[in-house]
Amino acid sequence: MSGRHPFTLLALAAALPALAWTLPAPWGPAGTFCSALVLCVLTPGASPGLAVARRALLTAAPFWLFLFLLHDRATALAIALRLSTMIASFVWLVAILPPARLVEALVAAGYSAHFAFLFAATLSAVPALRARAQRIVDAQRCRGLATRGGPLTRLRALRALALPLVLSALHEVDERALALETRGLSAGARRTPLAPPPDSTAERVVRWGLVAGCGAGIVARVLWRA
Amino acid sequence: MSIRLLALIPVAVAINLALSAAVDAVNLPLFLDTTGTILGTALAGPVVGVTTGVLTSLTNSFRNPTYLPFVAVQVLVALYAWFAARAGLFRNLKVAVPAGLGLGILAAAASTPISYKIFGCSTSGGVTLMTLLGRKLGMSDIMACAFSAFVSDFGDKAVTFGLVATVLHALPKRTAARFPLALRSIGAA
Repeated sequence: MSGRHPFTLLALAAALPALAWTLPAPWGPAGTFCSALVLCVLTPGASPGLAVARRALLTAAPFWLFLFLLHDRATALAIALRLSTMIASFVWLVAILPPARLVEALVAAGYSAHFAFLFAATLSAVPALRARAQRIVDAQRCRGLATRGGPLTRLRALRALALPLVLSALHEVDERALALETRGLSAGARRTPLAPPPDSTAERVVRWGLVAGCGAGIVARVLWRA
Repeated sequence: MSIRLLALIPVAVAINLALSAAVDAVNLPLFLDTTGTILGTALAGPVVGVTTGVLTSLTNSFRNPTYLPFVAVQVLVALYAWFAARAGLFRNLKVAVPAGLGLGILAAAASTPISYKIFGCSTSGGVTLMTLLGRKLGMSDIMACAFSAFVSDFGDKAVTFGLVATVLHALPKRTAARFPLALRSIGAA
């Protein structure tokens, strides 16, 4: 499955939750949840399938608890199965689809290089800024910043932690802009992907089939309710 | 879109997602996960803000997919911040904090149907507890859900607006002048 085109994987990960919300509960969402779990278990590569399935189940578990606290059994089961389908599908997608491969597919499909840059730069910027936030927290604590006490003390501490983080991030914008201009991103020229993922006719048919299946599910649901 | 504004978007998304470390350190019941969206809008307008909001939801959903349906709230936050920036509502804390309270009400109103329809009001332990409390107080299911959304968003958005106003005033004038809306947001243009 990991060799499939990124758009096929995206279509599958989107179709399962869409079907979970359109098919009648509990059997429809139960079927989509089982399908998503099977996909998780069958995940190849560095992250073993059982670990992916466990991550999906652990992410979904609190919702089951909260839902059974809030609703009657039938409603809680229906919502929990639908949510669990969504969670398992996305956890599977993240495990099986490296962001760089998706970016290659987007560029190959003719999407703007700006679009691909935004996606890739965001994924690399988030962990870097998170690490810096933790360093600022540690540094301010070393300088004796009180992070406990009344709400006003905590708000003042929050300002002392957040301000250097946000200002330092904003000062980086100029450096990033300069680097992008140096690489010719402003020219608007079309980029050629180094390794575009192969896209077969069969996969395109499968993707359109998934879209048609979701559409049919919605129509059937509307007619069934009427 | 200019290259500087393009470079601002990933930074604004990272601000949205990195501030949780600061919030965890002071142990306050806040998210601050729209700070980058509001700041991006106040500096550069709605296109940067909306893109930041959508990318934040997408990136967050890789960690926890339940964030994805709330993308509409991020878009609403960006549009509200745009009106606030054009009206110069970041000129001082006395104006910014009430404007943030207004956004809290709007954000709670926008997130309630999503939370109710998709999650059955179970988005987190705190929200579940607040919904249960609302029911104990005699509210209907949807009103209890709205009550929990209101409690989560009201203070959070006020603090976020205050923080963004502080950042905009702390920016050197030369840096602020490089962004199209920054000086107008703080009432300096």
